Amino acid sequence: MELIIEEISRNQKLLHRHKFNKPIIHVGRDYHNDIIISDPHICPSHISINLVNGDWLLTDNYSVNGTFIETDNGKEQADSQHIIRDGDIISLGKSQLRLLFTDHHVAPTQAFNPFDSFIDLMRHPVTLSLSISLFSILAGMIFYLNSPIDLNFSQLFVPAISMTFGFALWPASVALVSHLQKHDPRIMAQLGISFVLFNLMWLSNILESIVAFNSVSHSIYPLLVMLLSVVLAFCLFWLNGYIGFHMTARRRIVMAVSITTLLFGGDYLVNYSKKPEFNPRPQYNATLMMPTLLVASSVSVDKFIDDASKLFDKTAKEAVKQ
Amino acid sequence: MTRFFTLAFTLVFILFTGASYAQEQAEQLFNQLKPSLYQIRLIDKASGEKSSIGSGFQISTDGIIATNYHVISSFALHPEKYRIEYLNNQGDKGKLTLQSVDVINDLALVRRDVKQNMPFFQLSTAAPHKGEKLFSLGNPHDLGMIVVPGTYNGLKKESFNERIHFTGSINSGMSGGPVINKQAEVVGVNVATSGNSIGFLVPHDKLVNLYNTFLQASPKTIKQQMAEQLTANQSKLMTKILTSHWQAKTLGNNALIPIINVPFIRCWGNSNADKTDALILSAVANCSLDENTYISSHFFTGSMEIEFRTMSAKDIGTTKFYHLYQQQITRAGSGNRAGKEDVTEYQCRHDLVRPNNKAINNKSIFCTRAYKKFPGLFDVLYLSASIDKDKQALVSHFTIAGINKENALSFTRKFMEAVRWN
Repeated sequence: MELIIEEISRNQKLLHRHKFNKPIIHVGRDYHNDIIISDPHICPSHISINLVNGDWLLTDNYSVNGTFIETDNGKEQADSQHIIRDGDIISLGKSQLRLLFTDHHVAPTQAFNPFDSFIDLMRHPVTLSLSISLFSILAGMIFYLNSPIDLNFSQLFVPAISMTFGFALWPASVALVSHLQKHDPRIMAQLGISFVLFNLMWLSNILESIVAFNSVSHSIYPLLVMLLSVVLAFCLFWLNGYIGFHMTARRRIVMAVSITTLLFGGDYLVNYSKKPEFNPRPQYNATLMMPTLLVASSVSVDKFIDDASKLFDKTAKEAVKQ
Repeated sequence: MTRFFTLAFTLVFILFTGASYAQEQAEQLFNQLKPSLYQIRLIDKASGEKSSIGSGFQISTDGIIATNYHVISSFALHPEKYRIEYLNNQGDKGKLTLQSVDVINDLALVRRDVKQNMPFFQLSTAAPHKGEKLFSLGNPHDLGMIVVPGTYNGLKKESFNERIHFTGSINSGMSGGPVINKQAEVVGVNVATSGNSIGFLVPHDKLVNLYNTFLQASPKTIKQQMAEQLTANQSKLMTKILTSHWQAKTLGNNALIPIINVPFIRCWGNSNADKTDALILSAVANCSLDENTYISSHFFTGSMEIEFRTMSAKDIGTTKFYHLYQQQITRAGSGNRAGKEDVTEYQCRHDLVRPNNKAINNKSIFCTRAYKKFPGLFDVLYLSASIDKDKQALVSHFTIAGINKENALSFTRKFMEAVRWN
């Protein structure tokens, strides 16, 4: 009968896996053991595991710090003769071992889902370079449009490239974190996905401007388009998590939602805290775009005056209130 | 040669005696009127110290003293925080009570208790003639009562509410002091200065009106009186503006803008035609009303500004042109100073508007805020940007402070229909 022993980290990541086909296994710090763990809190001969009548028995060899079994309600000190069950996690010193039998039940096979083929497409060098170039061009465009003076190509090139590098820091750091957590970094996939979504966010910004340009005050459409950028941010974080970390679907959604909330909620909080108690300046939306992007029809002066007259009643009411 | 010396000597002699005569006259006038001249002081009740000072003069035998509204404005708005005191030429102090104000002409009447009849200033019955010698009395910078000789130079042409242009130095602290002619009759009240011996006075007839109205009936509350005066003044002003001729004028190449043809609205212009490297050629016309009604040191009203700007792209595409154009209109602000306790925050509305003449298509923004102490009065701001030409733009903008709803809407309607492409 075979026994599988996994050395796992504190957050239950697999470090090493051993398979034994012998009746007695020794675990400890010195070099005669079958599993040698260089943890100073473990005794030279800490435990031994024996096969007795078809059961594996765990014996603590009078260790200094003891041996504990992980149970549903916390840790429990091992008896002198603990019968091992499939999936038991035991703690010795500051290390953990997971014990599995060969008939241990494994999760069903996951089919490749559409995301994987999408991610594969995005990490392809051609798509990746295309999306990074598109990002740089868009960044250059923004610099060009915002500058009040005429700029030549090199004056635009430098800020556009630095902005691209700046944005590349996000996928790079996600890859770094997943590498540190002993996952495959998959930096190309992270870059590919992130830049595609960054580009989509630019586009949603442009769409937001067009909608704001065409709509009247207090219209719901600009708000709906703003939701689009929230959704895009969520997708970005979800895909970052999907590529970089193995986690349950539920946990991935929770993570993506929290980062999105942190980003937009933080932005809102910063703006809210900056808001003065009394603002002597009017707040209005002054989005202007070229006439070809104008699709909404204009109202008459009468209608505008009629709408404006309601503002007087509104502010007059407010003036009385205080 | 000798003849020349004689002539020169005679001239110097004449000048000298002339000057000493004026001095004598001033001294005589001053001594005669001293007992009816006061320093008006606002005392902060909590600290017991004076928080602002000005001058005042008695205009009736029973103790009515005239001064500027802005000298006692803090008391008018916060009577619980201050008290008003006078200081006469004997150094005696006493309590004053606020009776009536004219916020538009910056005048106020206060009363001191008198036991027996007192001498007082006579108000003139006629306006002075141009070049007439006048004497301004007051207490500049708390330095003691002085008399400043000067000249009457007519009424200031550009102001909607009349002001006398007085050539003579008026300093702060002299506000509220009388200006008299040689017969010792009051022809004006010190109110403002623009430095270099240019001073402004409120004409005596405004004070006569205020005093006569006060004799008929004293106001119920000062705040209500102010609200009525502000409302009446804006009605008078806007009726004049709305019924006067609006002259269409070309700005830039093909924009038509209205120029309101009244003397109290003055226009200035500028353009960047000399800047060869500019990406956008622009021409600006600014018109403004030279009025600023003082309510408190942080609240002014009654002003009006109008601005037109044309822009045309030189060597840039439509996208960039509109991007830079948008930056021009993002930060419009109010034309008058006002704080949290005076007004609400602005409420705005924007829409795409095509006037009935179909000659322009605009993105128009209208904002308004209401006055908290004077119900029915508002500040308004209008900003409009043309969005129908690829490489040309016309911005039209105005702000009006202290206007009622009907007038604001009528003005906006007329203004919107008057701005167009040619």
